[in-house]
Amino acid sequence: MTGGLLRCENIHVAYGAFKALSGITHEFRPGHVYGLIGPNGAGKTTLMNALSGHVPVAQGRAFLDDRDVTGLSIHARTRAGLGRSFQITKIFAGMTVLENLEIAAFAHRYRVQPFWLPAGRFLKVREAAERVLEQVGLTRLAHRPAEYLSHGDQRALEVGLTLLGEPRVLLLDEPLAGVGNEQLERAIGLIQRIVTGRTVLLIEHNMDVVMRISHEILVMVQGQILATGSPEQVRNNPAVRSAYLGEEP
Amino acid sequence: MKTTWLGTALMGLIVGAMILVPFVWTGGEAANLVALILVWALFAIGFDLVFGTAGMLSFGHAALLGSGGYALAILTVAHGWGFMPALGMAALVGAAMAFGLSIFAVRVSGLFFSLLTLALAQMIYVLASTKLRGLTGGLDGIAGVPRPALFGIDLYDNDNFYVFIVVVFLIGLGLMALLRASPFGRSLRAVQANEVRAAQLGYNVQRLRQAAFVISGAYAGVAGSLLASLIFYISPQMLHWSVSGDVLIMTVLGGKGTLLGPVLGVAVFELLKEELSQYTQYWYGILGAVFIAATIFLPNGIAGLFAPRRDRDKGEGR
Repeated sequence: MTGGLLRCENIHVAYGAFKALSGITHEFRPGHVYGLIGPNGAGKTTLMNALSGHVPVAQGRAFLDDRDVTGLSIHARTRAGLGRSFQITKIFAGMTVLENLEIAAFAHRYRVQPFWLPAGRFLKVREAAERVLEQVGLTRLAHRPAEYLSHGDQRALEVGLTLLGEPRVLLLDEPLAGVGNEQLERAIGLIQRIVTGRTVLLIEHNMDVVMRISHEILVMVQGQILATGSPEQVRNNPAVRSAYLGEEP
Repeated sequence: MKTTWLGTALMGLIVGAMILVPFVWTGGEAANLVALILVWALFAIGFDLVFGTAGMLSFGHAALLGSGGYALAILTVAHGWGFMPALGMAALVGAAMAFGLSIFAVRVSGLFFSLLTLALAQMIYVLASTKLRGLTGGLDGIAGVPRPALFGIDLYDNDNFYVFIVVVFLIGLGLMALLRASPFGRSLRAVQANEVRAAQLGYNVQRLRQAAFVISGAYAGVAGSLLASLIFYISPQMLHWSVSGDVLIMTVLGGKGTLLGPVLGVAVFELLKEELSQYTQYWYGILGAVFIAATIFLPNGIAGLFAPRRDRDKGEGR
């Protein structure tokens, strides 16, 4: 996979009078994994929402491989190579796991959805969906309605949906949220596999996982980047420790 | 909601049997009733692409039905067009009207979509009744809407015209079956199931909704034309909001989001209306009670009877 340079220039997001993000500037280099950490309300998810087009940016620009994507709609950013998984699982209830993945595959392959043939006739799409099905370890549940899956399996499906777009930049919002202990190692393994070769922004409260997977950590507090650095540097940064523990420096 | 393979086959058998009745029971009376059912069914099938598949409750479909009917009536009566070209044009006019409404309507969702479509459709109803009197004949409507002339067959004979309607209905049904099973149909279901996820996957949600609405408009345009031709007459009554309400009731009664459910819903609605109106002028009230009972005991409509138990219990058919 080539490209995947994501650049934020002075991004501001406001919800009414509340400034959710004030001046985020950072360059996310291709193929690197960036862990976003910080207390609740620091603006981590808002940053992902701003980058993927779910909230309007009040000021500032975002560039994907030097293309300005700030004004683009959600779907246009996806087509530009940006993938996104959500903290709250967003899957298609009422459809099977395989159908869920096929819908993602159709979105990636066709700008205008074919209407002249039944969906089952598109064998390439079926194959692509089945490949991801195997990748996320849901092959045995392929024909189960998605809403009947366990929470952990739904999280895996959520990640699978994102993968079918073959994103160069991947925004993962708490992919492990609510995953039980017995499924945790499998889920971590999955994330480790899919982040390889991609530019990844990862929000995750499991510090062990973030420190293990990330090349660089961004510590966010009150809508700003407080500190950046390698996991080692961040762990030993006194300002980070105080911000995280809520102590006055 | 998904019906089982067997359930779909059973529903198909019922619809098939209904279509065959006028061939056995000739004389025009049965043909007239089933023709009316099939024309409304065509309207309901198109409506359900927007309502059941894409998940938008349009309350302005009367405008689409009526503009199709008026297009055919005006083109044939006032401009001497042949029936078939006028029918094709009516489909286009229905689609164009839908496109016009959709420019405003797909920007909003949920209740606002319903209210906006209702308001726009009522505007068209008022325009057709008053300002556009020169074109539409105002409240008097247009009488003498013709029937097609094909292969020298007398289509003013109800039994013969019925065959024509069956053919159009089956073509419409077949096309809709394909649309619903195609990637396009699936993408509409995806938009209904989770709009944010669909957009995040790269679907242009507004464009998809608009496409569903426009196709639905073409169905309504054809249905409106056939309706006007069936009763030789069109008036602003076809544009009235109660028409939008009727098609909604029929679709919910039959089972939204299914191919054949709306057809059965129309059949039950029209048959009840036919029977009840012979005994009392308050038939609409009784029909209302039937509808309320159906929403309580058959939350997935008649088609829910043909669905696997697991889906039946969920109430909302998604």
